[in-house]
Amino acid sequence: MTITASRPATELSTAQAARRRRWRTKGPLAALLALLSLLTVSPFAAMFIVALSPEGEPTVPRQWPDSLTLDNITRVLSSSGFATWTVNSLVYALVSVVIILLTSSMAGYAFAKKRFPGREAMFWTFLATMMVPFQATLIPTFVLVNSLSGVDTFWGLIVPTLANSQAVFLMRQFILGLPDELFDAAKVDGASEWRVYWTIVVPLTKPILATLGVFVFLWHWNDFLWPLVVGQSDATRTLTVGLTTLRTEELQLSVLMASAAVSVLPCLLVFFLLQRYLVNSIAMTGLK
Amino acid sequence: MRQRLRDPVTGLLFVLPVLVLFLIFRIFPSLGAAGMSLTNWNIGGEWDVIGADNYARLLDDVNFWLSLRVTLVYVAIYVPLTLLVALGTALLLNQVVFMRGFFRGMLFLPYVTSFVLAGIIWRWIYEFDGLINGLLAKADLGPVAFLEQTALVLPALAVVSVWKGFGYSMLILLAGLKSIPSSYLEAATVDGANPWQRFRRITLPLLKPTIFFVVVIETISAFQTFDTVYVMTGGGPVRATYTLIFGIYDHGFRSFDFGYAATWGMVLFAIVLIVSLIQRRFLDRGNT
Repeated sequence: MTITASRPATELSTAQAARRRRWRTKGPLAALLALLSLLTVSPFAAMFIVALSPEGEPTVPRQWPDSLTLDNITRVLSSSGFATWTVNSLVYALVSVVIILLTSSMAGYAFAKKRFPGREAMFWTFLATMMVPFQATLIPTFVLVNSLSGVDTFWGLIVPTLANSQAVFLMRQFILGLPDELFDAAKVDGASEWRVYWTIVVPLTKPILATLGVFVFLWHWNDFLWPLVVGQSDATRTLTVGLTTLRTEELQLSVLMASAAVSVLPCLLVFFLLQRYLVNSIAMTGLK
Repeated sequence: MRQRLRDPVTGLLFVLPVLVLFLIFRIFPSLGAAGMSLTNWNIGGEWDVIGADNYARLLDDVNFWLSLRVTLVYVAIYVPLTLLVALGTALLLNQVVFMRGFFRGMLFLPYVTSFVLAGIIWRWIYEFDGLINGLLAKADLGPVAFLEQTALVLPALAVVSVWKGFGYSMLILLAGLKSIPSSYLEAATVDGANPWQRFRRITLPLLKPTIFFVVVIETISAFQTFDTVYVMTGGGPVRATYTLIFGIYDHGFRSFDFGYAATWGMVLFAIVLIVSLIQRRFLDRGNT
């Protein structure tokens, strides 16, 4: 600021003119962008307004609600079905995050830095399975889990989703970029392989592990088809599956929207805390 | 010397958990899908090899051809629409500096939620007393039965998926735009190129590989549409939204005709494989 103030007045006015000119051309673009952004979030806003409207009272789109209440939210939270589904979703997502991070970083380390027979063939087989959509193998996977009595159990829900080729691929690419000397030095010092993994691989891959963890959490929290066919009772049903059993014929819209609103809170939390992180990692790694 | 002898074992041990998971839950079901499509596997787990009968039945099945048509029409609506929205917002974000991070976050927000949640919100938005018809009524228009008319239902579903998913492609395209050297655009400006010419002659050609990637990713994901169909239309009205995956689910988990459902899965696999191979071919050509 002090620098511009000490400049001659004429220079300042040209700078101002340039800024004004830029604003004239970019202004409409900024307005359009603001409008599109508002349109994009408006379905969420509408959901929250209906969720906070008193049951049975008129609300959007007919009119703004006269008052807002947390009654719907507390009712949803205290209903036993909803609480069970939430716990199930948390178990499904968090257990998967821990196991996928552990197994894929171990495999990624071996694929990137170890020599063993069949390494290339194995890695390319993993990549090839990326081309087989999960839905194409839905039926045989279900029959397999069913024959092992895994239907409507937590292990049946979780274990088949742990074979994640995207995670293995991502870890391997990241660890490939770490210098070999780090691992050699540790081995010369007599560190065991497990110790090398824990004290070198894990700390150095922390950023990518964090990113992957966020994605795995969102994938599982939002997952639907597999939980739908495996979770056949409330005992193992996840939130996404549970939400689809709620029907407006039996339920006030405000209660349904309150359920939907509560179910999205973890995603919003992740979004507000880690938005920058998510955005950068998509641009850099293409994780979807 | 000792190091090298020890390596094969440790490498394999680190890969082992992932290897076991993949063999059991990815590779075995992939082969199993092909095998099951040659049987009349039913819910009791009884089966006989019936050769290519399922494939003959598929070719004679009017519902299969209808489903293929529904899926292709959906892809043909969804992919250009999502590309248009993602490219438009990416270009705006690349131009506007004012509150860029905030707008980018708002546009990206739906991506972190589930298709089930999107389906539940938009089911209400499209309803007779829902958000859109409520707004139309204020202008003495409507009501429009978005989800009950065969001509409107696929575009309506495509809009939901575009809303939920365009943030991902937007970020990929934005990263592509940022990698275009600004000196190219500045040089063109000096030479008197107008904004449209700069976009047409410089931005678009340089962005082509990124656009191609987005089209492939979005095409594959459009072929796998299920959640919104399950939540919003149940395949109706009169099978107007009976997508391929919905067919797999319907034959597998409503008729429990596992052998035939696996055959539908093989079709999905073939389609995704063809899209991936086309991608490979184009990329190879781009490299030479």
